[in-house]
Amino acid sequence: MPDLPQNPDTTTTRPLRLGVAGPVGVGKSSLIATICRALAEELEIGVITNDIYTDEDARFLRSAGVLEPERIRAVETGACPHTAIRDDVTANLLAAEDLAEDFAPLDLVVIESGGDNLTATFSPALVDAQIFVLDVAGGGDVARKGGPGIGRADLLVVNKTDLAPYVGVDVEQMVRDATAARDGRAVIALSRTDEASVTALRSWVLGVLGHYRDGVHVAQDPGPMAPHFHAEGEEHDHEHEHSHAH
Amino acid sequence: MSAPHPFSVAMLLADARLPGGGHAHSAGLEPALLAGMAPADVPVWLRGRARTVSLVEAGTAVVTAHLLSHPPVGTSAQTHLSAVVDAWAARTPSAALREAAHLLGRGYRRVARSLWSHRPPVQALEAWTGPLPRAVVLGAIAAAAGLRSEDVVRLTVYEDAQTAAAALLKLEPLDPLAPAQWVLEACAAAEPHVLRVAACLTPEDIPASGAPQNEGWAEAHALLTQRLFRA
Repeated sequence: MPDLPQNPDTTTTRPLRLGVAGPVGVGKSSLIATICRALAEELEIGVITNDIYTDEDARFLRSAGVLEPERIRAVETGACPHTAIRDDVTANLLAAEDLAEDFAPLDLVVIESGGDNLTATFSPALVDAQIFVLDVAGGGDVARKGGPGIGRADLLVVNKTDLAPYVGVDVEQMVRDATAARDGRAVIALSRTDEASVTALRSWVLGVLGHYRDGVHVAQDPGPMAPHFHAEGEEHDHEHEHSHAH
Repeated sequence: MSAPHPFSVAMLLADARLPGGGHAHSAGLEPALLAGMAPADVPVWLRGRARTVSLVEAGTAVVTAHLLSHPPVGTSAQTHLSAVVDAWAARTPSAALREAAHLLGRGYRRVARSLWSHRPPVQALEAWTGPLPRAVVLGAIAAAAGLRSEDVVRLTVYEDAQTAAAALLKLEPLDPLAPAQWVLEACAAAEPHVLRVAACLTPEDIPASGAPQNEGWAEAHALLTQRLFRA
C-alpha cells in the first residue's frame, strides 16, 4: 500500500515536478526539449534551469522554440548546483511555486539541474520523480560504475545512441549494465532522431504523471551518495549511523 | 520538550547550512564586483555595509520582534507588520533588492513555519498574504525564540558579511581564510551601533542608513543574464 501524500492539500493540485540530472554535456537540455516537443500538445509544461552561469540552458531551451519563452526560467545557484537540488532546495522550490501560479494550471514542471558529476541527485523535497541522464559518448563503462542517480533515479536515460557507432560503444551492453545496476528500474536508450525511443520516453512521463494524479506515486530518494567499500570490505550506503570519520 | 537556548537558535540562523535559500545570494557582492569595484576594496566595503544597510535590516528585525512580542492593546499584529514592512521598503529604494529580500523572506518563512509554527509571532506571519522581507521574518523568529535584541543586530551584521565573504570565494581567487578576518572586522565596525539599533521600538526608529551605490549596483545586476548569484 502506498504511503499517503505528505501534503494532501498541495499534492493533488500542483503540477508534477520532474527533475533531470546528470553530468555536464550528456544532453539534459536537449532531453527536456524532446519531452516538451513530444508532450506539448497534451500537457501544460514549465521548465526551470539551474545553470552555473544563470541562463545558458534557459536560452538554449527558449531558442529551441518548444515552449513559450516565459515558461522557461533560470534560477541562480550561487555556483552550487548540487546544493540547490539537495541540501537547500529553497530557490528551486520557490521558482516552481511561482511558475505553477503564473501559468496555472500546469501539468508538469521540469527542473534541470546544473551539470554536475555522478553523485548529484534531487531531494524528494523538490521533485516527485527524477531522470538521470548519461550518454554513450561519455563511455560505455559509466553505467557500470553506478552511483545514486544511475542506480536509483526513477528513470535512467542513455542518451545520444545515434553516436554509438562513432564512439565505439555497444548500446545494448550499456543498457544491460545499467539495468543490472538498477535492479530492473526503467532504462531508456534515447536518440532524439529515433522515434521509437522518444515514444518510450513520452509514455514513461505520462505513466508517472498518471500515477501522481491518482495519488499512488511515491517520491523516491536515490540517496546522496553511492554505496562504497571500506578497507575491511564492508559496504554501506550511509542510511545508518556509524562512528568512523570520512 | 524544553526550549533551546536563544544563543543556539542564533547559531542555527547564522549557519549557512540552514536550508533557507541564502546560498544563492551574495549580499550585494557580485553586483559590486561586476560594476567594477576592486576586489581589494572588499574589506572596507564590508565594513561600510555593516554600518549602513545591515543596520537597516537589523533595525527592521528588532522592531518586528518587539512589536510581535509586546503588541500594544487594541492593535493587531497585521497592522504592526504593515507598518514595519512599509518602513523597511521606504529605506530600501531598489526594487531589485526588495525583490531579493522577499525571496529570502519566503525561504525564511519556510524555516519559521517548520520550526516555530506553534509560536504566536510566527503564526502572525501566516495571516499575512503579501511578501515579507527576510528582516521581518527574522524578527518574528527572534520573538518566537526569545533572541535578545542586541544579538539580532549582531546576527544580521554577521550574516550579511559572511554571505558576501562566502560568495567572494566563488568570484575571486584568494585564500579562503582571508575573508574570515574581514567578516570579524565588519562585525567590529558595527559594534558601536549595536545598542542604539537594538533599542529601536517603532518603525520610525529603524535607521535610514541605506547605501545608494549598492542600490544602483543591484539594479544593474538584475538586468544581467550571466549571474552566479541572485543579488
